[in-house]
Amino acid sequence: MKTSGLDKIIENGIKVLLEIFPDEKYLYFPLLYSAIIWAVKRPKEWKKQVFSWQVWVNPDRLQTKPDAFILEFFKNDSSLAREYEQEIKGNDLKTLREAFLRLYPLVGLEDPFLSGLFFEELESKDFRRIVKTFDERVRKAKKDISVPENQTYFIESLKTLDDEVLSLSTQIISESKVRKAIARILKKQIGKKYE
Amino acid sequence: MNNPVSNNLKKNKFGKGLKFCIGIYLSLCLLIFSSCVSHLKEAKFYYDQGEGHLRLYQTEEAMASFKKAVEEAEIKVKNHASAQLYMVKGLSEIRLELWEEAERSFLKAFSLGYEKGEEWAKELSLFGLASTMEEFGLEDSALKVYEGILGRSNLTPMTVLAAQKYMDISLKKALQMPEPECKKELMKLIGKAEKLTEKDLSCGYFHYVQSQIYSHLGRYRKSFEEAVMAKELGLPSEEIARDNDLQIIFCYKELKSICSPGEWDTFQKIYSRWVKKWHWKDSVTPHWKTR
Repeated sequence: MKTSGLDKIIENGIKVLLEIFPDEKYLYFPLLYSAIIWAVKRPKEWKKQVFSWQVWVNPDRLQTKPDAFILEFFKNDSSLAREYEQEIKGNDLKTLREAFLRLYPLVGLEDPFLSGLFFEELESKDFRRIVKTFDERVRKAKKDISVPENQTYFIESLKTLDDEVLSLSTQIISESKVRKAIARILKKQIGKKYE
Repeated sequence: MNNPVSNNLKKNKFGKGLKFCIGIYLSLCLLIFSSCVSHLKEAKFYYDQGEGHLRLYQTEEAMASFKKAVEEAEIKVKNHASAQLYMVKGLSEIRLELWEEAERSFLKAFSLGYEKGEEWAKELSLFGLASTMEEFGLEDSALKVYEGILGRSNLTPMTVLAAQKYMDISLKKALQMPEPECKKELMKLIGKAEKLTEKDLSCGYFHYVQSQIYSHLGRYRKSFEEAVMAKELGLPSEEIARDNDLQIIFCYKELKSICSPGEWDTFQKIYSRWVKKWHWKDSVTPHWKTR
């Protein structure tokens, strides 16, 4: 199946060449050979390129802040200061630190995604509800985000494949194999009809 | 006898034939391109796109891209498994907080093995595996891995990643210690952070790390200077840049309360120049702040 696929491509190539250059049979071999070898070599180069394409992870910000920073965060925002008045007075840093982990990205850094997700709570200044439901809602929201159907900007030429020729591509593995196939088919076709 | 008309005809035919042949084999070539490694390219593409969105605080788009990367990888690992493909899958799963799946992906990547020239991918997989270990409560083991990467990696992006994780866990541990040990630990950390900065003075993130640790030590002037350096050199994401801005403001406020009037006057002049340069609304309001 795979070999016949290669044979078919060579045979088609010969048919075309016979029509265009009926008298220049000496061109058939170099033309077919160079074109197919080019096609054989390119995936190797491409593979090398893809494997050497390095992807990285963005580092995150440092999450662990000093107590003074956390206290300042709660004192600085009047709504937060009102809501956490008791904890600030009592220097309850355990509670404040826990709340800070959820509220700092929203109130401090103004994360657009989180601001949208907790819009109502932010409007009503219901900070404790944000803290209570934060982990679960963020996890759920991330899970529910759907993947767009069409990402048109992606290289379309890589998308549609023909399985038969795909299987052929794994068959074309060496130059000698291609050379032998061309020689065999050329001899068969040209020899039979024209010699 | 040479006939010019016939020669031209032949040349035209030759040109057309050549084009036709190239056409045939170009089609073949495209199909071959799309075979065994395109899945990796696609998965990498979507993963990279996701990280790009994250840098810009575009969480929704980032999550969609990571999902697409996982989707691409899942379809293709069945027939064309490779360590890099599992690595990309694992990294995307971490971003999607699919910790168990991520751990499985990294273990699979290691079982397939990395070839020469793929050291970066191997280190990244190790980092990913350590992140999943950390998530499952094996903080000490993860810390050792981060420390190992920090000590031996020659790849700056890897050092940056390991530094962030190592410093964050170490700071958390230090804050749980009683006062003298805590300070000792913080001094140790600042020493490490300084070494990182010396290694690569132009890396804004290392200055950011230093600034954060100085802040824990209550050395606000140093923290301020390092944060300014970080801002000027550039930081890897909008989130970190904003965090760094808030660090600058925090230092400004703390210095205001501890400086002598003369010191404060000098500092304020310097600070005002920076605020003007950054186009902040005022001394305590960065341009991005809306609340």
